Amino acid sequence: MPVAPLAVDARDLAKTFRSGWLRRRETAALRGASLQVPRGAIYGLLGPNGAGKTTLLSILATLLLPDRGSATILGHDVVREAFALRRRLNMASGNASFVWSLRPGEVLSFYGRLYGLHGRVLRGRVGELLERFELTPHLKTEYNELSTGLKQRLALAKALLNDPEVLFLDEPTLGLDPDVSIRIRSQISELRRERGTTVILTTHYMREAEELCDRIAFIKGGLILAEGSADELKRQIRIGDVIALRLEPAVPAGLAELPGMLSVQARGDRLDCTVDSAEKRLPDLLKWLCDRGVLIRDCQVREPDLEEVFVELAR
Amino acid sequence: MSSRAEPLGASPLPAEGWATEWVRLTAFAYRNLIMARRNVFFVFELTFWPGVAMLSHGLLTRFLDLTPEMTAFILVGTVALSAVQVCQLDVAYAVLFDIWSKSMKHQFLTPVRIHHLALGSWLVGVGRGVIVWALMALIGGRAFGFDFIGGGPLHVALFLLGCFLTALVIGMLVCALVVLFGTRAETSAWAAVNFFVMLAGIYYPISVLPGWVQAISAAIPLTYFLDAIRAGYGFPSQFAHPFATGFALSLVYVIIAHWALAAAITRSRRTGLLLKLSE
Repeated sequence: MPVAPLAVDARDLAKTFRSGWLRRRETAALRGASLQVPRGAIYGLLGPNGAGKTTLLSILATLLLPDRGSATILGHDVVREAFALRRRLNMASGNASFVWSLRPGEVLSFYGRLYGLHGRVLRGRVGELLERFELTPHLKTEYNELSTGLKQRLALAKALLNDPEVLFLDEPTLGLDPDVSIRIRSQISELRRERGTTVILTTHYMREAEELCDRIAFIKGGLILAEGSADELKRQIRIGDVIALRLEPAVPAGLAELPGMLSVQARGDRLDCTVDSAEKRLPDLLKWLCDRGVLIRDCQVREPDLEEVFVELAR
Repeated sequence: MSSRAEPLGASPLPAEGWATEWVRLTAFAYRNLIMARRNVFFVFELTFWPGVAMLSHGLLTRFLDLTPEMTAFILVGTVALSAVQVCQLDVAYAVLFDIWSKSMKHQFLTPVRIHHLALGSWLVGVGRGVIVWALMALIGGRAFGFDFIGGGPLHVALFLLGCFLTALVIGMLVCALVVLFGTRAETSAWAAVNFFVMLAGIYYPISVLPGWVQAISAAIPLTYFLDAIRAGYGFPSQFAHPFATGFALSLVYVIIAHWALAAAITRSRRTGLLLKLSE
């Protein structure tokens, strides 16, 4: 089978931040992270705060120099060939900021020029992005006076100025209204579909990761703990299936001791039974309940969601 | 965002060439110009402080009853200080705007090089420096009879170019300090120039300075430019070829300042300060 070309190939990346003059403090942000991202993929980096996600993204985006390890983007070394690479990648972050008294069109024109765009091409690209991200009604508003959602949209528009082949998004929907988040997610999907852009994003929202990403890496303490598609991760972590029941009586005695039962949790009038395999344990469980005259009002089987995988890994 | 799912225009990035180099360079000029137009404090930098300096020093020369030549000696220093100050601030703004708005990482994420950043903002600085010079020459001429083209137009043009090159060097060094130490070094943008002009013999010949300080003064290009312009007002030159020496020294310092800023940015990428300045 042909191997898909890699957009990102990072090996054993390590980064320690040092601070303080007299009392030297060291914080190991990355401790040997490796990841491979095929071209055209949407790749998610998940992990708790301080896990090293932004550090990893910043090294790949040529903003930080690693202490150890190597990384290539589109076959170019992120340290030695950073200048050439910067034409082909871009980045937007959830907490982005631009010069406060510039207006949206001016922000885009300034960065557009830095990417070498000028004249009609620059005006066209800026106008197109302003329209696409619905910033046209705010042309006269200075950056400082834009709402959080508009600032975020401007950051995304800026990140598309050079039509990047690889796009890094650091929590792109952080603090946004649900409807704006949905539209930004659809823009990200569109980018991949229409332009073949490789997107690497960090997020705290599991639903976002599950909806957007082909592959996901869990990072914690500067190490990638698990990697795969959302389904692969759920299987890999083996946190079991959940059988959600509504019973009468609500919690029959002895349920937790049944074979294959990993945990039993009451959630309101519902009982979540986590078993090693729903397929294997459901018939026995239902029989056990019927034998004891327990009334089964509702029974649903569901796979664990990504959030449960995240909690398990972050533990 | 619009619900229309139209792809972005497929226009590819233009090939890198001199035109692209020029466009990147003008990006900083574009931004400095917008900021200068929009911020009232920039008008102060351009008119108020230079005006106050010219009037107060001019009145001092009148009080001391100085000859026209001695008046020119002092006021040339006043003009030099203001022109260098205004121009070097513009160079420093290339980094300071981003420090203040915590947007540093965005410009270093682009394929921008030191010379784009420094020369682009310097161009605006030169323009503003010329305005400052013209304003001060006007006030000095009208109020105190200061002949602002004493040594001839070419002499004055070379002197101003020397001042602006000095400003470029100081501005780049300020940028390097700010990139290295963050907002803690921000005050250097206003303080550094005063230190250099003091050593360059701003209101006095450097012969009045202690011997070891004179050695330092001799290493500062502005010393030679001040010496050359004052020669145009009849003061004996202390150096054989002041303009040539000043420009040669400036070239050396521009190269050193370029290296220092590049090294500061690399260090900032290594320490992570570049990201901290964007949070």
